Amino acid sequence: MSNEAASRATQDVDAHTGVGRTFWGRLSNWSPYRALMGLVTASPRRQFLILAIFPLLWVLTQHLGPMLQMVRVSLTDAYPVAPGVEQHFTLDNYARFFGDQIFWQPFFRTLIFAGGFTFCTLILTYPVAYFLARHVSRKNQMLFLLLLLIPFWVGEIVRTYAIMILLGNTGALNLVLKTLGLIDRPIPFMYTSFSMGVGIVYLTALYMLLPLYSALEKLPRSYNEAAADLGAGAWTRFRRVTLPLTIEGISSGCTLVFLISTGFYATPVLLGGPSTTTFAETIAGFFHVAGDQWPTGAAFATIMFFAALVLTAVFQKLMNALRKGDTK
Amino acid sequence: MNRGNRILLSCVYWAFVLYVFVPLILMILMGFKDSKFIGFPIKSWTLDWYTGVFADAEILSTLGYSAAIAVLATLISVAVGTWIAVLLEGRKFWGRTAIFGMTVLPALVPGIISAIAFRIYARYLGIEPGMGAIVWAHAVHNVPFVVLVVMARLSTLPKSQLEAARDLGADPIIAFLRITLPYLVPAILGASIFCLLLSFDDFVRSFFLGGYEPTLPVLIFAKLKSGMSPEINAIATVALVLTAAIGIWAERFTRRMNKDTKA
Amino acid sequence: MSKLIFNRRRFLGTAAMTGAALASPAYLRRAHAQGGEVNIWTYNDFVPEAFKEQFEAETGIKVNVRLVDDQGKQFNLLAAEQPNPSVDIMTVAGHRFLQFIESDLLAPMDTDRLSNWDKINPTFSESDWSTINGNKWGVPILSGMEVLSYNTDLVTAEEAQTWDTLFSEKYKGQTAYIIQDMLSIVMLMKGYDGNFIEYADDHEKAAEIMAEIQQFMIEKKPLVRKYYDSGAEIQQMFVNQDIALGHSWNGPAAALINDGFPLAMSIPQEGSYGFVYTLNVANNAPNADNAYTFLDAMLSSPEIGAAMTKASGFISTYKDSAQYLTDLEKKSTSFPEEQLANLQFFRAEENELKYGLMDPAVEAIKAA
Repeated sequence: MSNEAASRATQDVDAHTGVGRTFWGRLSNWSPYRALMGLVTASPRRQFLILAIFPLLWVLTQHLGPMLQMVRVSLTDAYPVAPGVEQHFTLDNYARFFGDQIFWQPFFRTLIFAGGFTFCTLILTYPVAYFLARHVSRKNQMLFLLLLLIPFWVGEIVRTYAIMILLGNTGALNLVLKTLGLIDRPIPFMYTSFSMGVGIVYLTALYMLLPLYSALEKLPRSYNEAAADLGAGAWTRFRRVTLPLTIEGISSGCTLVFLISTGFYATPVLLGGPSTTTFAETIAGFFHVAGDQWPTGAAFATIMFFAALVLTAVFQKLMNALRKGDTK
Repeated sequence: MNRGNRILLSCVYWAFVLYVFVPLILMILMGFKDSKFIGFPIKSWTLDWYTGVFADAEILSTLGYSAAIAVLATLISVAVGTWIAVLLEGRKFWGRTAIFGMTVLPALVPGIISAIAFRIYARYLGIEPGMGAIVWAHAVHNVPFVVLVVMARLSTLPKSQLEAARDLGADPIIAFLRITLPYLVPAILGASIFCLLLSFDDFVRSFFLGGYEPTLPVLIFAKLKSGMSPEINAIATVALVLTAAIGIWAERFTRRMNKDTKA
Repeated sequence: MSKLIFNRRRFLGTAAMTGAALASPAYLRRAHAQGGEVNIWTYNDFVPEAFKEQFEAETGIKVNVRLVDDQGKQFNLLAAEQPNPSVDIMTVAGHRFLQFIESDLLAPMDTDRLSNWDKINPTFSESDWSTINGNKWGVPILSGMEVLSYNTDLVTAEEAQTWDTLFSEKYKGQTAYIIQDMLSIVMLMKGYDGNFIEYADDHEKAAEIMAEIQQFMIEKKPLVRKYYDSGAEIQQMFVNQDIALGHSWNGPAAALINDGFPLAMSIPQEGSYGFVYTLNVANNAPNADNAYTFLDAMLSSPEIGAAMTKASGFISTYKDSAQYLTDLEKKSTSFPEEQLANLQFFRAEENELKYGLMDPAVEAIKAA
């Protein structure tokens, strides 16, 4: 693949001097294009600037803009501002979080749940990704992967209600258990941490599966074979070869899932019980039920956001350290 | 030993398939229930909910509208995301971390906050609510996912290839188009699937930035207000079958295209 | 069960024809060729399709409906759009008025411009909650109330006569309620004023009472299966038999009853609260004239009110709309006289005091 591509590029370049046979050759011979190229590549510095200017503008205006707007709102005492009311700068909204323990519980619960569910998702999907990448023929891999993606085309709410139909007292699972004679009375699965976990892992599995799969797929099989030749057992091979080499996939999958799960709203609200309130629910409360407390909601969202960010950074550092430790 | 592992792993895979598909099957099944509410027991069956979906012009146009939004937003996200990824991967420059941080921002902001922030910002920029605004918000929100996936792939691109091409005189644009881009295709396809999914399933942003035409999730939320009826399951199933059909067609089509160009 | 569905479908199927058969009142003809459009935010099925089509045909005014699913989102959306909203008419619950009014989002309702205003039952059009700052603010269309819903296979009508059953050991893990609404109801149970009007001048007492209620709710927390938010959730809990009884709004419960589910509702003896959905004209509405034409047309016939009841399960505010309902629909939207006597409306006057105490209480109960 590598030589082939390079030689393809070479052909185009050959076309520079010879007759432009390919599209690329013709393009690079076309004088307006060459003039443009001359302008763009005049110096490495200019080349870099041209490459960088658009992304920079984009992230500043499109990514940072809305976020700054939110932080600005979190520092005011009234938003949206009613006509004739003056808006003041205040830190009260942040003080409210740190001053009232009521809010800490959902806050830490969310972080702990998100961490726990991320771990569950990892444990569940790793063998699946491993099976796909290692034991399914290349021809079928895409098919097997697509098969798993199908259910993710169904919206979150509809899927969540389907889980209620699965786990409810008259749900499919209780129906099956009863028919098999394993239970007399239905088991109350719904509205517990269990039902919430089933729903959340269902939502996050995809985001874990894809990075894991691409990390495992890249891993040359010869490494394992070499380790086996050296007499390493299956477990040792996995622990010493496969795991360290896929740590990047694990780390990006976990980061993605963790961040996504701190923001989940509908599924925990619908599947959770009276004692599983998440911080997203608390935040949404300021925007929904209370209605006129946007600044507080914005402040809480900012706090959640930075907490998640810090945890992710720590996690990434840890992963990096692990990787370095292993290659030593 | 190896064989035992293999069997065990395939069991895990199929158990996972079961976990993922059982709720889906329940959803499809409930669309045939002759009642206004989903759930067991099912006393009688009907096809009316499904035929109703095809008879309802509003539902069909909503499906098309959502699909159009998803495709447009994905095209923008992929283009922008790939550009940013190329800038960030493998280069060291002042402010790189800051740009990376800003890049992933939209993925980290909780849905409701992001929606309201977009709404306020849209007004600030003078973007009218409607299809354009939804496409914009979805595109911005999805860029981080594209960047992450494309960067991961890019990091494994053998540097030697690019260097070889440059040594031979290929300019950066041709080198990108002929070497980097083809190498990125699997990542771009994967990222596109992500984006399409995120956009198609998005409720909050679509609600806050939309006009009078509902997207599919907005319509479903509104219908949910009067109860979780089999109609919603039927709509979701039809949407699933249609998108799956288009997906399979697209896969076949690209496969055939590849064959043609090879021949 | 399937017969009911047949009825519902037949209604939908023939609705266009019925619509055309409705007499076309004179003011509509006058308005003809008026043209333009009117933009409405409302819940699914609140504006009957047949009426909408007829109105468009008769007046040439195009009706754009934007479906919403909750009050808070409407408020946020409108607040984000001010001072130039895209909406003319929106759907607000009566006791949420004040919040919209204080943020300057609503225009006062000029009832003189509505020739059909007197077709509304005065219980709703002239009620104590409906006049704020000396103005009327909305056209009442549907009435809801907080009821005790119960599965008749599991709970007796006697047990449903008191809210206490919701907190009894017997139904441990088989109950559900909306926590905010339940706080007001528990206040009634304990003999307090859930609207907080009595405590307008004694905020200390109000805080004391709220602390007591909060304590009660926390003590009873081990008994509840789920604090829920939306009607669809409690419907699903009943269907899945995850609960035997619960607090709910009458609309979602009526929909289950009309589908043949063994469910009944009661207004327990301790009393309960009612609320009214109203259609309101937005402040700075771009098509205010068309909005009034639309509202007046909507009030023109009790049949339109009945259609709204059929779709939502809530009780129509129109005089004489019940005659267009089936027997089962009548049953699911009516209550015995002695139970209705226990009902009072939510009031908005002391909302600031009320929610200032209630919101932290809700957080505390959830966190407990």
